[in-house]
Amino acid sequence: MARDLAIDLGTANTLVYMKGRGIVLNEPSVIALNRQTGEVLATGREAWQMIGRTPGYIVAVRPLRGGAITDFEITERMIRLLLQRVGVSRFTRPKVVICVPSAITEVERRAVTDAARRAGAADAQLIEQPMAAAIGADLPIDEPVGNMVIDIGGGTSETAVISLGGVVALEAVRVGSFDIDAAIQAYVRREHGIAIGERTAEEVKMAIGSAAPTDDESQAEVRGRDLMTGLPKTVVLTPEEIRFAIEDVVSSIIASVVRCLAKAPPELAQDFLVRGMYLVGGGGLLRGLAPRIEKETQVPVKMSNVPLEAVVLGAGHCIEHYDALKNMFMGARRS
Amino acid sequence: MIWVLIAIVVVVLAVLVIVLRRPRQEPGVASFRRHIDALSPEARREVMDRHRAQDDSNDGPNDGPNEGPGN
Repeated sequence: MARDLAIDLGTANTLVYMKGRGIVLNEPSVIALNRQTGEVLATGREAWQMIGRTPGYIVAVRPLRGGAITDFEITERMIRLLLQRVGVSRFTRPKVVICVPSAITEVERRAVTDAARRAGAADAQLIEQPMAAAIGADLPIDEPVGNMVIDIGGGTSETAVISLGGVVALEAVRVGSFDIDAAIQAYVRREHGIAIGERTAEEVKMAIGSAAPTDDESQAEVRGRDLMTGLPKTVVLTPEEIRFAIEDVVSSIIASVVRCLAKAPPELAQDFLVRGMYLVGGGGLLRGLAPRIEKETQVPVKMSNVPLEAVVLGAGHCIEHYDALKNMFMGARRS
Repeated sequence: MIWVLIAIVVVVLAVLVIVLRRPRQEPGVASFRRHIDALSPEARREVMDRHRAQDDSNDGPNDGPNEGPGN
């Protein structure tokens, strides 16, 4: 008998929750392929370690960008391999709930459900990430009060107001922490004349990246390839430089939070002042982001206790109470 | 024989009266109630407790990298 699954199919990481067991898999959404034969060489963490370090015949790719499938076939193969790793075979076909960005198009929705069904799921249902995040962050969404959740992922940032088990207002932008990495890469290339990889940019962000000045600031040494000479070169980056580099991305995320606040009915808006907004997703861990949002919106911002797992835990709760909560699935409400 | 038939009819009528007089809940109300109850903190406790226990027993559910803001 197959155990039903909840999947947070994120641009950066894929998490799988198994009914009755909890989170059973947490791996980067990366797949490494042999360019010539098309064979899968590695998935998850192993493939992630290959990014930017592969010989010509191997390509390590993220098949999702901005929360959407960019390569249907590769995504399907990645999901199939991940499902196999959690014990799904062709004889055990589980029901699957998949978390997707709320701004997903009809075509993208079909691509995700088709990929899951072809990968071995008996039935695939979709749930909006902010709703799953609010459930997983343990917000009192069963009450008639305004709960606001900001989910900043690798490729999307979504803000939602939830009350009485439903979404009241929603705002999503296809901007996330990968855009912060890309902004750092572009800045270092432009201002210091060196090329750095995706993973180095991410390391810089984690080491000294911030959305607002913090108390514990230090500089970071970065090694890359000099664009003029082609030789390895080291430069020192300051937190001020990185703040400047990522300002456009951070401003765009904050602007979407402000737009969502403006969409909320006044009765619920007053709740936010008392209860605050909750930040989830890996992007929410950027230093200084919570105080910056708080400063610009005048609303308290709190970090969820489970920022990285909130979405899959919320979807996991939906799989545990599938019949009672099936009205929350995207197909159920739109068809 | 006739008394048995009358008794059966009386019992059936009594059951019908009881069933029809019972306040009926609208299907929408019952479904909404079930939906809200399934989202209550009590209903969610099982998933949260399981995750906490998993977290306590090992630092991560798997060996995936904890990439922080890159996630």
